[in-house]
Amino acid sequence: MKNIFRFVIPVMMLISLGSCKKFLDVNDNPNSPISETLPLRAKLPAALVSSVNQESIQLNQIGALWGGYWGTTNEGISMFVDLKSYNGPAIRHQRDGIPVWENAFNTLLYYQLLKEEAVEEGYFFYAGISKIMQGWHFLRLVDVYNNIPFDDALQGTQFPTPRYEEGKVVYEKAISLITDGIADVKRAVPGTEPTTDDIIFNGNKTLWAKLANTIKLRALLRQSQAGNDAFISIEIQKIQAEGSGFLGIGENAYVRPGYLSTAGKLNPFWESYYRNVQGVITGNYQDIRPTVFAIQSYQTRNDPRLEKLYVPVNGNYNGVLFGNPNTAPAYSRVNTSAFRGPQENGNQPGALFKSISQPSVLMSSFESLFLQAEATQRGWLNASTAKALYETAIQESFKYMEVAAAAFTPYNLQPSVNYDAATDKIRRIIEQKWLALNSISSIEAWSEFRRTGWPEIPNSLEAPTATSRPLRLMYPETERMTNNANASAQGSDDMLNSPVWWDR
Amino acid sequence: MFSCINLHAQAWQVKGKVIDETTGAALAGATVAVKSTNRITQTAADGSFLIQAAKGQVLHITFSGYSFVEAAVTNADQLVQVSMTPDNKQLDEVVVTGALGIKRASREFGAAAQIVDNRNLNQGKTVNPVFGLASKVAGLRINMYDSKVDPQVQITLRGTRSLSRTSGIDGRNPNAPIYVVDGMPVPDIARLNPNDIESITVLKGANAAALYGSEGVNGALMINTKSGKKGRGVIQYNHTTIFSNVFLLPPAQTTYGQGNNGVYDPTQYESWGPAFDGTMKDFGLPLPNGVQPQLLYAAPSKDARLDLFQTGLNVQNDLSLSGGDDKSTYFMSVQHVNIKGIIPEDKNNRTNLRFNGSRKFGKLNTNYNINYSYNKKNTTPDGPWIGAYRYPANFDFGMVKDWEDPLSPGNPLNYFTSQGSWLRNPYFLIDNIRDQSTQQTLTGKVEVDYRFNDWFKALYRVGFYALSDETRSTVRKFEAPGTRNTVGSVSDGSNNYRRLNGDLILHFNKDFGKISTGLILGNNIRTDYRKTTSIGAANLLYPDLFNPGSRQGELNGSVSIAEQRSVGTYGELSVGYDNYLFLTFTGRNDWVSVLSPENRSYFYPGVSASFIPTDAITTLKGSNILSYAKVYASWNRTGNVTLTPYQLNNAYTQNNGFPFGNMVGFLPGLVNPNPNIEPEFVTSYEAGIQLGLFRNRLNFEATYVYSDSKGQIFNATTSSSTGYNSARVNAGRLTNSIIEMNVNGDVVRSKDIKWNLGFNFSYINNQVKELYGGLDNINNFRQSYGVIGAAFPSLLVSDYKRDAQGRVVVDATTGDPVIAADNTLLGTLVPPYQMGLSTMFQFKGISVGAQFDWRMGGWLYSEIVPAMYTAGTDPRTAEYGRQPFVWPNSVIEVTPGHFEANTSKLTSSGGRAFWSKQGEVQINTAAPSDFFKLRELSISYALPISLLSKQSFIREVSIGFVANNLFIIRHKDNKYGDPEYLYNNTDGYLSFRQVPPFRSYGVNLNVTF
Repeated sequence: MKNIFRFVIPVMMLISLGSCKKFLDVNDNPNSPISETLPLRAKLPAALVSSVNQESIQLNQIGALWGGYWGTTNEGISMFVDLKSYNGPAIRHQRDGIPVWENAFNTLLYYQLLKEEAVEEGYFFYAGISKIMQGWHFLRLVDVYNNIPFDDALQGTQFPTPRYEEGKVVYEKAISLITDGIADVKRAVPGTEPTTDDIIFNGNKTLWAKLANTIKLRALLRQSQAGNDAFISIEIQKIQAEGSGFLGIGENAYVRPGYLSTAGKLNPFWESYYRNVQGVITGNYQDIRPTVFAIQSYQTRNDPRLEKLYVPVNGNYNGVLFGNPNTAPAYSRVNTSAFRGPQENGNQPGALFKSISQPSVLMSSFESLFLQAEATQRGWLNASTAKALYETAIQESFKYMEVAAAAFTPYNLQPSVNYDAATDKIRRIIEQKWLALNSISSIEAWSEFRRTGWPEIPNSLEAPTATSRPLRLMYPETERMTNNANASAQGSDDMLNSPVWWDR
Repeated sequence: MFSCINLHAQAWQVKGKVIDETTGAALAGATVAVKSTNRITQTAADGSFLIQAAKGQVLHITFSGYSFVEAAVTNADQLVQVSMTPDNKQLDEVVVTGALGIKRASREFGAAAQIVDNRNLNQGKTVNPVFGLASKVAGLRINMYDSKVDPQVQITLRGTRSLSRTSGIDGRNPNAPIYVVDGMPVPDIARLNPNDIESITVLKGANAAALYGSEGVNGALMINTKSGKKGRGVIQYNHTTIFSNVFLLPPAQTTYGQGNNGVYDPTQYESWGPAFDGTMKDFGLPLPNGVQPQLLYAAPSKDARLDLFQTGLNVQNDLSLSGGDDKSTYFMSVQHVNIKGIIPEDKNNRTNLRFNGSRKFGKLNTNYNINYSYNKKNTTPDGPWIGAYRYPANFDFGMVKDWEDPLSPGNPLNYFTSQGSWLRNPYFLIDNIRDQSTQQTLTGKVEVDYRFNDWFKALYRVGFYALSDETRSTVRKFEAPGTRNTVGSVSDGSNNYRRLNGDLILHFNKDFGKISTGLILGNNIRTDYRKTTSIGAANLLYPDLFNPGSRQGELNGSVSIAEQRSVGTYGELSVGYDNYLFLTFTGRNDWVSVLSPENRSYFYPGVSASFIPTDAITTLKGSNILSYAKVYASWNRTGNVTLTPYQLNNAYTQNNGFPFGNMVGFLPGLVNPNPNIEPEFVTSYEAGIQLGLFRNRLNFEATYVYSDSKGQIFNATTSSSTGYNSARVNAGRLTNSIIEMNVNGDVVRSKDIKWNLGFNFSYINNQVKELYGGLDNINNFRQSYGVIGAAFPSLLVSDYKRDAQGRVVVDATTGDPVIAADNTLLGTLVPPYQMGLSTMFQFKGISVGAQFDWRMGGWLYSEIVPAMYTAGTDPRTAEYGRQPFVWPNSVIEVTPGHFEANTSKLTSSGGRAFWSKQGEVQINTAAPSDFFKLRELSISYALPISLLSKQSFIREVSIGFVANNLFIIRHKDNKYGDPEYLYNNTDGYLSFRQVPPFRSYGVNLNVTF
């Protein structure tokens, strides 16, 4: 008996305790790196791509449908049903809905973690980019959801149910965050700056400051009708004091991660709306068509961009009616004008589809120029004239859409285009901006329509009533489930009756 | 009962034979013991036995399922012929396989346990043994999910104790009991041959299983496989053929056909066209040869959707050999199962081999077993049947069968709808999208025990479980424009998993007068390792060459390795007094690898007691009314860790196309990690009573259980505005109050007729008491939530705005029902009331057994039907002639808070946009999940012995009829499906992705040689 214990007990002790620690130390992940093992440069590109994917796919699609650019063929009658019929609950649905909120806040977290790490390590350029991009997403979220969390947001378990702040307050805080971001970018010291991992500006401080200022300008113009003029003028002064200016000719915020000819690695706009990796056209390409209104808008101006954008059918450009619940031969696939890409253009780049590796557009020079034109027209800026900015903007758009530079002069002579001939200058700028942003930054078309009512986009034929228009998105189901006390405190989030703060 | 016939024999040897009193059949494996000695033996296959006994001693003969018999040895030379009466509920004789595989009398047990024997388990001839337990054990709930030819099991014992969905490296459901096969804890028993199982003991309390470590927190299924018996070898052959047919499809309207807004459209798959008119109409576009396919524009009398499904087939062949001698036993078996699914081309083949053996070397006992299973599965993933829910009622499945013919309307280039994905031709999907899996499972154990003396025994048991799964998913390329296109792809995977488990157990027993003591000390080591590899190509060049070598673009691939280890030491001390009072203490300390070094060690104790008043109190002894009574109680607090390896840190991965060549881009995971996670603890109390009445003819057991799970480790879904979509936390508390009851009795017990009725009942009041932070609910899966104050999980759905009387509020301008801002909590998704009803009727060689399953009080949600609203196939969409109508029983809010009945305001439309919106209102597709079903029916006939007596080769033959799911009564609002066919391991959740329910019936043949 004693012998047994003498043998067994020590063995058990040994197994249990002695070698226990080493035996159990197998919990280091052999599959994936953790934050500490990855430098900032391995994280920044992923965050930027996440931003531009939301912009050029998810938001672009909502905007293109609600901003008057797209409809579908007879065959595509079942596509985008929720957007066509302004079905708020379906859009906010956690599974089948459109997760604008979730994607944006997740992307905001990527920047939050980048920012925290960058500040700790003294890599201020990264902190600056993160703040500028966070500002971008917060502004977008307000445009879509109005009141949202800001101060409490992105704190993980510290604030599990983040408190909401008014859209207006978030706008002001986001603008201030971008201002901080510019300062951070500018104070970065050599050796801490991004290079190729900055897949937008390759570490160019001035261009980041210009993009940041342009984002702020867009946010200030957005509140032109909201009676917040004192704030606007202070912020304009800040932009001018900073001095870098805005994105100008040839200065585009393009995201170029290095798209490849592999499924899932093509330019996502191309892969989604044009052709897959085999070169086969996608379902979207088959059935998305310009609206009759879009075609007419180009045609009444004899706009040379039209033929670069779309393929004619028997010599005519034919559109469709957004939200049409009925089918008619005129709106079938074969009788309407699809997008024109390289395959339909003698292997030359089209207005929107150029190659599988074309950059994704975060913000274009022409949008910046139109914004500057409007701000100048409103008397906020005075470095140039509104007319010159307006004309340069159109020229930049022509360049993007592959229209020959020579076409500008005759185009600009037309009374329907010419700036001097316009009675309502702001309207002219907004309408030309609408023509330029087609399918590129379409979410802006919807937002600007809500702000200005221009251009006069026909309503969806499947709208619940003839006058009801989408003014916002409802708070998502996921938010209702996890943070309902705060979401409910914001009042009605009805899509058709509750505008966002700047939309009066 | 028994008779003694004097024969010439040796004075010290007693020979005998044990037979069934009713049938006269020999009983093999009955235990014959000489009372007050430790001499014991078992009867051979022919029922004979040989045992040493002296004159005046008493033989005590027991056999599972029969009343014990005692026979005095009156003469040294005698043949003892014993007839035993069937009685499967001899409570005080029930031997329970307790923790660590140690068998002990039920009377010593301080917690509820229930035994399902081979016969009862195999009544419905299920392929997966777990399904054979359904509704047979109080408190055990079994559901089927992702129900193809190899359905998955959802098993919960005594309610939900964890808010997590998966746990550990084996991905087990943290609410499932642990499976222990012959003493070895294994992650899964789906591949076990049910015929190999001698019995399954369900240990319900955490206390009973505490010695198995944390996974035993939900109780244990102790599976004993068969072993050979001394004597002439036994060969058994069993054949079963079962057919299955689809049923309970959600109903579809048969008034309107394809089109838009009331206008016929030959290329529209949705049913928003004009009413069926019986004319021939164009269907799709003209074929390449100019022929325009046509279809009769009328709904056929038979549901056309059924044409897509075929009669499933399940053929089982099982052969086993067993035998033994004084020192060794063996049991060998081979089983082959061949299943054809109700979806064409779905199949599953399984071959099982088992070898169990034992041998004695003096005081050293060895036993070993090895089980190999080979399972080959070939299915089409979720898809072909999804279109059936959405196609018009006159759709002709036969017309599109031949998709390969370029001139067929079924060819993807000609198919009537150009919609891709699930709306492609179902036969095209079946032929071209395949998932294959070849799974090999090898389990084995070696156990040696050495009895040093009469009070000390040491045992070492080492077992392994190895799973290798080779998978291949292929999509055959079909080049066509737009959504008609199908990109070719292949993905080859391998999943290798192995577990090694070792237990050293020291077992001490000593009696001190009336006091008996037992002490168990043990040590356990477990290592688990998993490696999954996948490699594939998303764009293949050729339709019939499935190799990533012939691809365009980059190669896809990933590898994941996971390792988990644990060490435990444990002890159990039991003390008994005079065989009627027992007290047991348990304790265990675990060290686990998945927690941080500071938190990885945790201890958990337990205590239980049982008392047998019928033995303790003299006045109760020998009563013919109360034959046996036992009361028992227990308390324990069990630690549990539901993490999987590497969850303490946030892992970064490359998504969104990264890496683009040399450009890398890593993103963090969106679950907020927590490096300081600690074990969660479940405290349980249990008290119960067991009664045997009228000489154990009527047995009754009732148990009350309360469990309190605190500091739950779970993923709390948090607002995305926190940045993360969920947070891993140590919070949350769940309680369960449970009442379980079992009644079992022989209604008729005569020589020729025996009729037994059994009833089990459980009521589980599960409540979420606390969640994380300020959250009052967490998302479990889609509409399934954890809500404070309600059972977990509960159904929370979007609903209409209603007035105080529950009438729907319609918008004063549009007339459309207004959707409420807040969701409505309908109730629990787990039926709190579960009942099982069994009956077994025997008349001579005929026996009829049936198992009924009754569950009440839960809710279900169907995601099949919202899509049918949009497609215009749901009957509701046709109710108002597709015209605007007055929403029934609706009101208008005239001033805030003041409602007036709406009698005239019509809805904005009665078409697609309107109905599609109503489909999104989730209350429209929720229903109570109450059901009552005939789960199993088995009728068998055993050929009379007299018929077989002319030869000695065949000993027993029986033939039978077997059926599953023969009928079901559902709640009137449930038109969606079978409430126990779940999707994605989620209670009460039905999806279009799962194969619809089916019922089955077949024949069975048993031969014993």
